[in-house]
Formats: sequence, structure tokens, C-alpha cells
Amino acid sequence: MTAPYADEVARAALRWVRGHRDDFALPADVTDPRTPVDRTLKPLGELAQLCLSIRRATPPDDERHHVAAELVDFAWRQTDDGALFLDLLRAEPFATYPLEIYAAFAEAGLRHPEFERLAGAVLRTRNWRATEQDPNRRLGILNTERRGGFPRTADPAEALERTWLGALPEPWSFERPSGYALTHTVFHLTNWGAAPHAVPDDLARYLGTWLPAWTDGCLEDQQWDLGCELLAVAASLPEPSDPTPETAGAARESDESVWARIAEAQDEQGGLPEVGGRPRDFTHCYHSTLVAAFAATLTTERTAPPPRTAPLATEPLDGART
Amino acid sequence: MFSEESVVRDVAQDIDIDLEAALNPAEAEGTFRDTRECAALALIGGQGALLLSPPTPRPTKKG
Amino acid sequence: MSQSGLPPLTGAVRDLAHEVVSALRGGGHLAGSTALADDELGLAAVRVLGADVLLPATLAGYSLSPERVAAFRTATLAFPAAPGAAPVTAWSHWGMRRALRTLSGPDEDPALPDTGEPGASWLHSLPWQRFTHQLAVLGALALPGLPSEVATTAALRPVDLARGFVRAVRRRDWLQAAGAARWLALLDGVPDTLGLDTGLDFVLLMSDDDPRVALQAHAARHIRDERLLDEGLRA
Repeated sequence: MTAPYADEVARAALRWVRGHRDDFALPADVTDPRTPVDRTLKPLGELAQLCLSIRRATPPDDERHHVAAELVDFAWRQTDDGALFLDLLRAEPFATYPLEIYAAFAEAGLRHPEFERLAGAVLRTRNWRATEQDPNRRLGILNTERRGGFPRTADPAEALERTWLGALPEPWSFERPSGYALTHTVFHLTNWGAAPHAVPDDLARYLGTWLPAWTDGCLEDQQWDLGCELLAVAASLPEPSDPTPETAGAARESDESVWARIAEAQDEQGGLPEVGGRPRDFTHCYHSTLVAAFAATLTTERTAPPPRTAPLATEPLDGART
Repeated sequence: MFSEESVVRDVAQDIDIDLEAALNPAEAEGTFRDTRECAALALIGGQGALLLSPPTPRPTKKG
Repeated sequence: MSQSGLPPLTGAVRDLAHEVVSALRGGGHLAGSTALADDELGLAAVRVLGADVLLPATLAGYSLSPERVAAFRTATLAFPAAPGAAPVTAWSHWGMRRALRTLSGPDEDPALPDTGEPGASWLHSLPWQRFTHQLAVLGALALPGLPSEVATTAALRPVDLARGFVRAVRRRDWLQAAGAARWLALLDGVPDTLGLDTGLDFVLLMSDDDPRVALQAHAARHIRDERLLDEGLRA
């Protein structure tokens, strides 16, 4: 099966990201307590994570591989080769986000030993285990610990049980907040699509059954960001889920009608708004465009012949329950 | 001026049109609405302090 | 109960649906006693609800007055499906003819000869969204012991229908959701994680007592209760 629309979406989105690289650059005052981290460190961390995933999913001779690798290096340089993480942690020692963002770099082999020593001390506190967070984010922390090479502070299977997805809720209760909770649960469980087999059987069956219905609603409502996250989840299952499933005797609208709709929502430069149509400034466009590149790449590479590169360390987060 | 007959006929034609639409309806327009975020009892104070809102005064019943 | 602000036919259909639901829930006494309006609007409303007008008898086993059955027959005769009519129009008329035969015994009604099923090939090629929409429109055909090519096709695609139900709830299309739920109540192979029972309650309450939604939802519950009872007896 080929995926021409998904391929087109991935390449256009990544071109947009490369074209807007400098918008991801950190301001000089990034450690100032008044600087909003959601507009500075969060975009840079997402750039690093999703480009790492794209790099990992693509063969070395693929243009996306080069671009993604370049962008990971750019992001690392923005952190002053990791020194920023130490500054951040000395300013806010009990924050989890510095380590959460650092984990992607650590997995790519980009490390800062002094930061890791301080983070290791914080991780040994009872406080670290007791930090109150959404259950899916707690699962993310556990994956972060694993990627950073730290001892695990809790049982991932128990953390998974407490998430929305772990409860296998009525699929008709799906809406935006539960949607983002579920996509992140799968991202952390599979280490951002790298370990599809880490999804337990019952969750995989549940997701495979209901993802098409949820995706359809997101696209109709022009929720492109969540729609692309769901498509990334569909490509992160042990058996990739087809967003336009073919069932007994029924023809499908098109192999790729879903990706065609995403392609149509992209602007000429490849940018995709989070929701709706225009206006599309960086803030309301960067995340959905990154996710589109990530989801579309996972899709094309899952449907392509087996991977031609050895993946980076992808020991799954052991969330299996049965 | 309309004759009574033509009015009756018009009504019948209207019903025919309505009837075909009712028997073979197009799909209704979707309405999408998501839960809003409400911090509920966890009010963030001006200095970033985490406060609980005081209990709401209950109206006292008289008589 | 007249509904101001609605097109006349819509209001008449809602009134009739309300009455059928009351009969279905209230023990059936209403169903036999209330006359069906036999003006053109009333008959058109009967045609729109189709075989569901007789649901208190066909699903719950209550008896209906001969006048009521006669008015139903008049509506069936008055609004046949024209040649080339949409498949759902042809099938809902088939459902009415079929319900009349069930009620009036084996003798053929010369005015309504058995012309067989209209054919369901259009359903086979529909993607799950459109498939669910069409099945929901034909909710009146979702009855235990009413075989048809539509029912056979539905039985092949329970997961598609379940997805369609989820989609309909997300779009807040309660009527489509309730119609899909009625088929799901009838079918095997519906994924357990769907949560059909709570889903039915949810749809019913969210629809603000829309009588057409209530009609489908109560029919679905009835079908489901019967199935659970059967399964209980078999076990």
C-alpha cells in the first residue's frame, strides 16, 4: 500500500518547520521567571521530540531524515548543549519539565552529565514520586526516567491504569480533553511511536476499533491538531489502524481520504492550523504542523517495507497489563 | 385571490415536498462542543498561591 | 400537543411519535384507543414513522383497534414509493406493507400485493458513516423476527454501525444515534467497550425528550431487554 497524500503532508509540513526554524529559537531571558515556558521551551522541546521521532522512523537517504536530524541539532544548540537544563533546574529544582524536555536529547545521545547529577538527586526524593499530575503525564515522567537512564520511580502498568485510556471508557464519551489524554498515553507508552508492541492487547483492540470514529469527528470539526495526533496513534499500534477501514463488502471512500483532507487544510507553505482555517500565526500553527509531519511520517513508514535502519534504544515502557 | 381548491392543492404539494425530505433525510449538521476547563476549587491567587475558595454562604430559610 | 414553530409535517410526526412512545411505555392502552388523524397531514405523518406506528403491537404485543390499523393501511396506500424512489423510501414502504401482513394474517391484501424486497445493494458500497446514517433512517426495520436483506447487511457490519453510533453522539445527532443504537441492540458482534446501555440512556436524556429519539431509544431498550432475557433463559 502506498500513501501518496500522507507522504506529501509529511514533506510539506517538515518544509514549513524548517522554514520557521528561527521561530523556535529561545529568547535570551528564557530562565527569567516571567518568561512563559509554554511559548518558549515547550515549542523547542516538541521540535526536538518530534524531529527525533521522524529521524528514527526514516531511512538515512530520506530527505526527511536529514531535515529532522538538522533540527534536533539546532534545538540542542539552542539549549547551549544542555547547559540551559542545568540553569533551569537550579532555578526550579522541583519542576518536571526540564527533565521531560531533556529526555528526547538524552535518547539521541546528546547529554549533559552535571544536569543529570542534579536531576538524579531530585528524582530520589519522595517529593518527586508525590508530585500531583494528570495520569497520562505521570506515564510520560516514567518514560522520561527510562530515557534518561534513571531508576524507575513507579510501576508504569499502575500509571496506565489510572489514565482515561486505561479505563477503556465508552468511546462515545470522547471529546477534546479525553482525546489529548489518550494520544499522550499512547505516545508515552510507545515512546513516541518507536515501540508499537508496548501497547497492551486490550488497548490496541480498543483503539483499532474506535480511532476511525474519533478521527472522523476531529476532521469534520477541523480539529487538525488532535486529528493528526490520533493519526499518529493509529500508526503506533502493533497493527496500524486504518483510518478509513474497509469492512465486509464495503468500498472505502478512498485509501487515503483522511490524509487528503489534511493536505487540503495545509497552506501553501505546508503549515497546518491547530483548529479551523486562517489566521495561521506561528503560535497557532507550529504544534499541529509538527504533529502532521510526525503522524504522516509514521504512517508512510509503517506502510512501507520493514525499517531499514536500526532504531535507537526503544526498550518499551512496560505497560502491559495482561 | 386564491380559490380554496388551489390552496388545498398547494398544501398537498407542500406535504409531498416535506414528505420526500422526511422519508429520505439528509444527515443533520454536526454540532461539536467540548468540555471547558474550569479550575473549580483550585483558585490561583494573585501571588501564585494555591487557595481553596471559601464555602458559599447558604441562604437561610425563614419561617 | 402541537409544536409551534415547526413545519406542520415535522410537528405532526413528533406528535405521533410521542403517542407511540406513550403506548409502548404505558402498557399499550393508548395505542388501541387513540384514533389516527386521517387528514392528509396525519396520514403523511404515519407514512414518515412507517411501521413504527404499529410498534406497540409488533414489538410489545399489545392489540390495536381496527380503526387504527385501517388508518395505517390508508397511509400505506396513499403514499407508495414511486418507481425510482430513494432506497430508504422504498424500504420504509416495504416495512409498512410487511407490518400490515403480520397484523392481518396470511390472506393477501389485493390492494397491497407482496412485491418482494426492494434490494439492498446500495448499502454494500457505503462507507461506515453513510451506512450508519441510512440504517438509522431505516430504524423501523430493526425488529426481532423481521428478516430482510437490510437486516442481513446490518448483521455483517456491527463494528461499522458501532462506529457510526460513536460518530453520531460526537456530532450530537441524537436521532441518528438512537436509530443506530436500535440496530446495535439487535445485532451480535457489537464491541463490548461500546457501552450500549449507558449510551442509550445518555442519548435519550441528551435529546431533551425529542419524541422521535425516544421512539428509537425505547424500541432499542425493548429489543435489548428481550435479548438479555432470551440469553438468560438459554443460559
